[in-house]
Amino acid sequence: MTGPFSRRRLLTVAAGGAALAALPVRPAFAATDEELAYANFAVSGELLLADLYGKALGADVLTDPGRAALRNGRRAAIQHARALSSLLTGAGQDAPTAQDFDFQWPENAFATPAAIAATGRIVLRTMLGVYQTALVAVSEPTYRILYASLAASVGQQLGALTALAASGVVQPFPVALDLESASGTLEPYLG
Amino acid sequence: MRARLLAALAALVAASLASGATARSTATGPLTIYAAASLTEVFKTLDPAQNYSFGGSNALETQIRNGAPADVFASAAPLNAERLFKAGLVDKPVTFTANRLALIVPKSNPAGITSIYDLRSKPVKLVVAAPAVPVGGYTLTVLRKMGLSSVLGKVVSRESDVKAVTGKVALGQADAGFVYTTDARPVSDQVTVIRIPAWAQPRVRYEIAVVSRSSNKAAAQAWVKRVLSAKGQTALKNAGFLPLPKASS
Repeated sequence: MTGPFSRRRLLTVAAGGAALAALPVRPAFAATDEELAYANFAVSGELLLADLYGKALGADVLTDPGRAALRNGRRAAIQHARALSSLLTGAGQDAPTAQDFDFQWPENAFATPAAIAATGRIVLRTMLGVYQTALVAVSEPTYRILYASLAASVGQQLGALTALAASGVVQPFPVALDLESASGTLEPYLG
Repeated sequence: MRARLLAALAALVAASLASGATARSTATGPLTIYAAASLTEVFKTLDPAQNYSFGGSNALETQIRNGAPADVFASAAPLNAERLFKAGLVDKPVTFTANRLALIVPKSNPAGITSIYDLRSKPVKLVVAAPAVPVGGYTLTVLRKMGLSSVLGKVVSRESDVKAVTGKVALGQADAGFVYTTDARPVSDQVTVIRIPAWAQPRVRYEIAVVSRSSNKAAAQAWVKRVLSAKGQTALKNAGFLPLPKASS
């Protein structure tokens, strides 16, 4: 391990996103609106994450190992959004795109590595919490596999950002969130 | 004296012929503009001189299809304008603004609603627009996206346009209703607005087109340009409408 990041950890973060892209998501003929609501929220959250990583990279306040974590996180968020969009379109719904949002970030959210990590962890914890709830709320097995993979990948990203801040605490039991709570947390960022 | 009068008349005619679409509009009378009910305040502010017929875009579409003497059609959903375009009844429609949905409750808020999720858990009298009305369709989209379609079981009335929904809530005849954010503004002393999350918002796009059989096409085209102009867009923005969507701007 060199500094807060190891090459192995970064590769692990990247692998999470790549593996998700290959997941088959069966068109859900019997999915209920309640089940699909998780995907609708999650696409938006992943698009928000991709924007966060992009802006963090643009701020240019990180050294190269940290930048690699941001690049990997961004790649994963884009792949997650694609997988979730496929789920929605397969179920006959329109999926949101980044053009549907006017993302809002607090002033100085990207001013320092610690600020980037703090903002990123708010979004990531929210997404992880929703994926945990979705895992037990949906009935379709392929959805469950997708949400389990998404939760694992987001957990990896949380670890990477925690290391970036060099002061974060890894939660032993991340909290599951219902959609209403998660929506309330991300609403200020979604615009 | 007679010669001077004739000269003045001739000058007036020449000026009238030379001054373009706006003057032609005046010469042939005001335009007849069919527009979505949600555009009522902003269009009247933008240009009080024209004749307006406001209503549900679906109803206005039907009237134009049946030969109503409209010059311009402004719809709250692309579908209505596009269908008329495909039928050759309007020129190619263009997107000119966007909007968002909101939930409104009476100021007295007898049902105690503070979040859209409260519709699920509390006994409420909910009012919506009919599914064929753009705002009614958008309401269904919001509820479907949020997994709240079950609250449709609490609908007590389906209205013909968004102003009717707004009116029922403002008068306390319903506990809550789905409207455009811009419709809540004129009754802000009577209703409280509850935000619908950005992730659940439908793509509310307005389209405008000149009616093909308009007898005043040049003036109608000039009026559409006026809506698309900086002045028109500022008026829309001031009324709470959103800028032209990124994808279509």
